[in-house]
Amino acid sequence: MFKDSPVILHDSVYQLDNGNTIKFKTLKFYISNIQLLQNDVAVFIEQNSFYLIDVADTSSQNIFLNPKQGISFNKIKFNLGIDSTTNVSGAMGGDLDPTKGMYWTWQSGYINFKMEGTCTTPKNDFEFHLGGYQYPFNSLQKIELTTSLKTNLKIILDLNKFCKAVNFAKQKHIMSPCVDAVTLSQQLANCFSIK
Amino acid sequence: MRKYAIVLLCFFLFAFVINESHFTVPENFPQPVYDFSKNPLTENKILLGRTLFYEPMLSKSNTISCESCHSPFSAFTHIDHALSHGIHDSIGTRNSPALMNLAWQNFFMWDGAVNNLDMQALAPISHPAEMGSTINEVVEKLNASEKYRKLFYNAYGDNTATGENTLKAISQFMLTLVSANSKYDKVMRKELSFTDQEANGYLLFKKNCSSCHTEPLFTNGNFKNNGLPIDLVLKDIGRMKATSNPNDSLKFKVPSLRNIEYSYPYMHDGRFKKLSEVLNHYTNGIQPSNTLATQLNQGIQLSSNEKVDIIAFLLTLSDKEFVFNPKFQYPK
Repeated sequence: MFKDSPVILHDSVYQLDNGNTIKFKTLKFYISNIQLLQNDVAVFIEQNSFYLIDVADTSSQNIFLNPKQGISFNKIKFNLGIDSTTNVSGAMGGDLDPTKGMYWTWQSGYINFKMEGTCTTPKNDFEFHLGGYQYPFNSLQKIELTTSLKTNLKIILDLNKFCKAVNFAKQKHIMSPCVDAVTLSQQLANCFSIK
Repeated sequence: MRKYAIVLLCFFLFAFVINESHFTVPENFPQPVYDFSKNPLTENKILLGRTLFYEPMLSKSNTISCESCHSPFSAFTHIDHALSHGIHDSIGTRNSPALMNLAWQNFFMWDGAVNNLDMQALAPISHPAEMGSTINEVVEKLNASEKYRKLFYNAYGDNTATGENTLKAISQFMLTLVSANSKYDKVMRKELSFTDQEANGYLLFKKNCSSCHTEPLFTNGNFKNNGLPIDLVLKDIGRMKATSNPNDSLKFKVPSLRNIEYSYPYMHDGRFKKLSEVLNHYTNGIQPSNTLATQLNQGIQLSSNEKVDIIAFLLTLSDKEFVFNPKFQYPK
């Protein structure tokens, strides 16, 4: 979402708070290791599951969990990105297949979050490929959200909030594990909420 | 019931033998680091991988295959080329490494930027000066090919190529490239013995070289700065490129010395054509720097005769059977 509008790629224009406008070309990211907790005790863990959420593919935006009937939970936890063990485990399929465009080729590692588009003033293209699994540039984020709902959790990523953290005049291209990738990943983690 | 059990037992024995024939750990080698359980070798997968290894469709212009820079007769490197060339005659920045005993390697590329054998092929496929393509483009071409649909079906029971099964098949072939039948190995297995000169070279080698070029793989798998003056055009900082850590500046992966006779020129940028030049570097050419390998702080002292003996020993690391193994050649 961008403020109250769902993000549509390519043509839709979004207004940043500083007056600039922005268009998105690509927006996709990994969600993994989903857990449901009741009073901080895990009641459901989905191991070795990795979801590529792609704004270009609406079906990728629904995740179906299958916990036991009747469990109660008041918190959901998940990773934004791919853990370090998976990053060194060789070729994998499904959403982790390197043809998904979320794997660096010149240096091994998954891109956890990819956002590409154009900013109008100053006019420039931006490419944020946030990833990195090794110290000191580990950009994986653990996200925890409290909820009172039991079914159909609607998790929102507020891109307006994230874009406020980005200085589009200075930061245009992040394409490798680095300090900025870690900082922006941390900012991104604060942009998730439950509606 | 008994009959069933016997049939089952035979099946397991058969499977065991088949698997063994694809990959055997040489008796003087440690256990491999590659996780075979995630990619168990089969004859048809190896054949697919071997076919892909020799496949020019992996490059954008359908002209360059893996073999272009990794030819079997040179222990899978690109002899006579200091720097390898890719599509449209583009020149890369590093000497293509010889390929062998890859199941024992934790890191790939001179700077270790690749962390798993499966992911290695992505780098040359995508590099603009090598194959200039993408894995998506490669998979698309393979899926449009009747020949590959058949090979994928035979290998995976599914005729669709994916990034995962394409890369894993290439790994399968590369994993079979085991070199462990040199004269050195036969001496270690007490089947042959060294000449006096080779034996002396071996002693000198163990004293001066083996802390990095450790037996039996002839590499310790580490990254070291071996005191080469930096090439002012290439300005290659080595492992620091992959880690951004200044302590890794000018460090490169210690290469195996197996089949060194076949795999000239030497060093990450192929600057030395002869083994004598390499030894002269270690005795006379070490450049001091903060990240220099501690073993080289004092340089290495060797007389001319000692250098000749070391070279005689290094030539015992040549494995003719490996280089001419018909199973590794272009699949007809």
